[in-house]
Amino acid sequence: MARRLTAAVVSLVSLLALLALASCTPRDAREQQPPGAEPPRIVVASGQDVTGKNGIRQQLIDAWNAKEGERGYRARLVELPGSADQQRSQLLGALQSGGAEYDVVNLDVTWIPEFAAAGLIRPLTGSAVKSPRDIIPSVDRTAFWDGERYAVPFNSDVGLLYYRKDHLRSIGTSRTDLSGGVTWDDLRDLIDTVNDRPKPAGYKDGWTTQLAAYEGRTVNAIEAFASAVPDFALTDEDGRYAADDEQLTAGVTELRERTASAYLLGEASASREAESLSAFAEGRTTFLRHWPYVYPALYETFKGNLGVTRLPGKAVLGGQNLAVTSSTSEQRAAKAAELIAFLTDPDSERCLLRAGFAATRTSAYQAPGTTPECRHASAYSRNASASPTGESAELKAPDLLAGGVSYSRDVLLPALSEAVQRPRTPLYGAVTQTLITQLDALCGPRPPGAPRPRDAQVARRLDEALKKVLPGR
Amino acid sequence: MSRFDPRGKANRALLAGVSEYDHVAPDPQGVNGQLPAVRHNRTSLEDALHRGGVFGAGEVRALASPTPDDFTGALRRACREARGLLLLYFAGHAVTSTSGSELHLQMRTARVLLGHGLPGSVRFSEVLGELAESHAERVVVILDCCYAGNAAGIWHHLDDPKRRKHKIQLLMSVQPNRCILGGDADAATPFTRELTAVLDEGGDVWLSRLYAAVKERMAAAKYKAEDDDPQRPQALAPPWDPEADVLLAAGPAVLPPPPPGVSWPRRLWELLTRARKAVTGSGRTTLAALLALLATGAGGYGILALTGDPGPCAPPLELRVLTDPDLEPPVRAAADAYVTSDANTTGDGCRRSGVTVNSAGAAAVVTALGKRTDSWQQPREDDNPQRDIGPQPDVWIPATRADLDRVNMAAAREDRLFARLEAAAEPIAYSPVVLAVPKALGAGLEPTGRSLSQLRTDLERVDGKAELHRPAPELTDAALLATMGLYGEDADARAAERRLARAGRPEPSAARLLCALPAEDAVDRHAAALVPEFLLKSGIGCHSVTRVPRVAAYPDDVPGLEPAFVRVRWEDGDRDADARDDAVDRFRAWLTGDGGRAVLGEHGFRSATGERGLLAAQEPPAGLAGSVRPAKAADPSEMDLTLERFGSAHGPGRVLFLLDSSGSMAGRWDGSSGGPGILKQTLPGLGGEDEYGVWAVHGTGGRTHTELLGFGTHERPDAERALGRAGVRDAEADPHGALLDALAFMRERGTDDEQPQLIVYLTDGEDDGRLTGKALDEVLDRAGGDAGVPVVMVSLRNSGCDRGRPATRIAAAGRGRCLDVGDDLVPALYDEVARTGSGVE
Repeated sequence: MARRLTAAVVSLVSLLALLALASCTPRDAREQQPPGAEPPRIVVASGQDVTGKNGIRQQLIDAWNAKEGERGYRARLVELPGSADQQRSQLLGALQSGGAEYDVVNLDVTWIPEFAAAGLIRPLTGSAVKSPRDIIPSVDRTAFWDGERYAVPFNSDVGLLYYRKDHLRSIGTSRTDLSGGVTWDDLRDLIDTVNDRPKPAGYKDGWTTQLAAYEGRTVNAIEAFASAVPDFALTDEDGRYAADDEQLTAGVTELRERTASAYLLGEASASREAESLSAFAEGRTTFLRHWPYVYPALYETFKGNLGVTRLPGKAVLGGQNLAVTSSTSEQRAAKAAELIAFLTDPDSERCLLRAGFAATRTSAYQAPGTTPECRHASAYSRNASASPTGESAELKAPDLLAGGVSYSRDVLLPALSEAVQRPRTPLYGAVTQTLITQLDALCGPRPPGAPRPRDAQVARRLDEALKKVLPGR
Repeated sequence: MSRFDPRGKANRALLAGVSEYDHVAPDPQGVNGQLPAVRHNRTSLEDALHRGGVFGAGEVRALASPTPDDFTGALRRACREARGLLLLYFAGHAVTSTSGSELHLQMRTARVLLGHGLPGSVRFSEVLGELAESHAERVVVILDCCYAGNAAGIWHHLDDPKRRKHKIQLLMSVQPNRCILGGDADAATPFTRELTAVLDEGGDVWLSRLYAAVKERMAAAKYKAEDDDPQRPQALAPPWDPEADVLLAAGPAVLPPPPPGVSWPRRLWELLTRARKAVTGSGRTTLAALLALLATGAGGYGILALTGDPGPCAPPLELRVLTDPDLEPPVRAAADAYVTSDANTTGDGCRRSGVTVNSAGAAAVVTALGKRTDSWQQPREDDNPQRDIGPQPDVWIPATRADLDRVNMAAAREDRLFARLEAAAEPIAYSPVVLAVPKALGAGLEPTGRSLSQLRTDLERVDGKAELHRPAPELTDAALLATMGLYGEDADARAAERRLARAGRPEPSAARLLCALPAEDAVDRHAAALVPEFLLKSGIGCHSVTRVPRVAAYPDDVPGLEPAFVRVRWEDGDRDADARDDAVDRFRAWLTGDGGRAVLGEHGFRSATGERGLLAAQEPPAGLAGSVRPAKAADPSEMDLTLERFGSAHGPGRVLFLLDSSGSMAGRWDGSSGGPGILKQTLPGLGGEDEYGVWAVHGTGGRTHTELLGFGTHERPDAERALGRAGVRDAEADPHGALLDALAFMRERGTDDEQPQLIVYLTDGEDDGRLTGKALDEVLDRAGGDAGVPVVMVSLRNSGCDRGRPATRIAAAGRGRCLDVGDDLVPALYDEVARTGSGVE
């Protein structure tokens, strides 16, 4: 790989190697840096993030580079396409074949078992993670496979319930603040009441979510299944199929009840994140299941008329974890672990929370003014100056909702702490595809009046299909 | 025990090579010295095993200088996971007990203490115990260390009433009670060097052959062990029982499939698969009887493969497939069908590969494969095809093979290439580019035998209001091929472009065009579209609109789509070369075989040869011809030339960027997802002759903006620097005033020519409060005027382009697009800018 070094650098490296009479693989040769050469690099691959987080990941990497100094290693962010499918495809293909070089990869939580089992990422030691006990345990579990830590959580994500307080006020209910939490029965009662009264302008149905034939359908299904069956798990810790017909029937029934046409917006069957957000933002529903990142935009639109609370039942975890590739050299791997420790330390997590990500550490959610402070990214430190015009650079979403409830501490943190994971298996791609396809009978579009198959029938087919793609116990 | 071919099973190879030790002499507790040669052992053996093809992607794990915990952890895991063959290799220092009854494998942290203390070591007897308990069917242990030969004695003494150890076979680098030298720093140790050489010889390398050949080669080379003794490799226990042999490699010599010397199990598997297909529907009993019959002749392999407990499947090898935007839906449907097909399933019911399909603008892909493979493999901050085009493809399916020639022509001018292309000889299928006309007008046209320009004249004669639509030629090959027909041999490209419908901007794909037409019923009834024929059969997936039915007229001078299957090999991407080649070959064979033809037939494709009949063996749908005479093949030089003429037909373009620089943008400023960063990424879409400028929008008094980059032609680095210098202002912004100024500015420049123009307004929407009521109406009115310049609104917040938002309404009035944060903001904006500009490089 010396091809991209200048000729002068190549000959210097060769000379040094000869003088040292040491054996070097080409990779080692690239790491020996002659005086004046560029510092050695750590390449970090991550999907492009255009959700308005102001390049916070780049800012944290810049902070690490500054700490390393001019003679130290230099971390460089290589952005991949925004689409998760394309990110996964490129990372898998490149690491399997060696056709591109990455030292650190930012992986969706559902990919960890696959990359670990394929030997593409390496087990990490304590040097890659600071204060592991500070990491929210449910979130930290996404970083392990086969009893070993393969990654460190970078930013998390979890399903939340958004709602229109003005809609609730218009029906005269006393429960316009649901921040204490709701059950699905409460929710259905509230929707029934909204439907029975003169409807708010533009209103069509009670709630909406993401049920198009993509990952969002799997997320909603797992949330329903995990709510209906105590300790539900589609796979055991070794990735073997662990559910049965009876559990799946209960899960399918729960999903069908949640998505009954009396409550759910009809177009949800073809909605992804953007469509469901638009429907709610345009006032077509009172409730919305969505991720934390839409909170600032929705708050800007609805101000005090917006409420947010934990999802009734179980919510599914999302997010990304940082891992070190197996193909990188030992020397770079050790440095990559240091970089990961920095990018995920309590200070960085505080910055990430302020930039709009769901932080992975409990300490990040502590009251303002307590440690850790966000020193790694100055734009997000509390001392960042506010603009005299009132157009401030501070995070837009006010953390305190009316009534003194802290969104991040009282809603987001508990939601993350009690969230459930999607099935953990190296064959996740096949599993999610099976769920999406088999649940088409329940969630997919259908001509008006056409009957849905019975729950037990859907569950039996799902059970059979999952048995085909997953090893049994 | 019988001859064991592990291919297709869940196999594992664990290669532990300890080259670096924490404690070495002169440390009194340290080992003799470091073992740099072992580094070469690790990599060369790993490569040889990958090439050997017995171990699949992800099945070989190399441990570089592990600690005892790392080693035993990895060993336990391999024991748990392996269902077929488990290969354990160790190279490093080792010591034996005084009695010779134990062998201590010394790991990275090894120390030697007074007495019998050996911290940092692993006892070989314990390793054997683990291996005996493993789920693997067969285990091969290879030791390259001092006293390796003592391992055989330890095997014999292992207490094993259940005879589990008998599945373990040993290959050892030296005779018992002999130490060996550490080897040269610049090559592998002698034993491993010869071992990998034999594995690399190609063909089926069975353990017996491996041992015999290594022994012979080492004797010939006269390698010496300690005390000047010859170094003699050992095996447990020759002479080999031929029935107990294990296949360790079946390298390149046996590829491509079907191999001439294909082994019994694989041949049997193929027979069984065929048999299973043959008896589908005839009942389980018949199938079982047939299997039993076949198995009798083959020692039971087939029965094991089909009815044995399927072990956990290894994660499959990932294939990245890149195609033309028009072809993405059918290719994705084919890939989805393939991954669950028998062709992609091993005997254990595991998937061999996963396939992910994506598409990108055809011209950009041709340029990237011809000229940008360096940055595609190692992206730079200002040049990142991994982000802008997508994954580095293993397979490229362009809409015509001529694209491959275009890439080769461009690549011939490059110093160095980092991707090699290799195309299959035959196209996958065929679909002519047709003029799709509303059924009511179709009766007045000759469906075949006319050139495109004749058809166009005929159409205008039949319907005075007829409009001709074509998608963007730089994004899809079908549109480019149609453009070749439109321009003809000497027609004036500019005049030809003027005769096309001017409503809005060209759609990015034929499917999008057909979906967009019904938006206005009056347009739909008079609109003819140049699209690939297959879309008229397969439908296009745009819901909730009723389209006017269309019939096809087949111009005889427009080349059709002949999708080609191209393997892309990336430099250094050979870690799993054979497995990847095999996966690609299987996908290609399936795609061009019955499975692929069925899916492509459903999507409306025709046979690539002969009469070009529809692949779906049914009557052609109404409005389509049964068979077609293919037009001339696409000419690569003509395609390039047409693209160039298209670019200059519109003259160089003009783009005015408006960058909201008010205080609230501070949170959306830095990095590639910040305002200046996003604009920077669109600059490669502009060429040296395009005129453009950037306004920083701020201020609410009389002045709505300051100039960041003066309007004119620019060298890209200068423009990048100007954006790099941009900063957020401590002020609010007046989008109403700024947009009116921009529209007036551009209108003034566009009065004398027909050069394409574009305004891009990038904002966080913080000042949308100034875009309401009368102010908004005024902007909508000006943007929507006859001579209006297209306006692309970019909103850096979620739901910024929701129905009724100012940005959405302005973009609609200005016949531009509204883009908000999401997966495709940057590429979509790039496309918009590149379509106005003439720079594709």
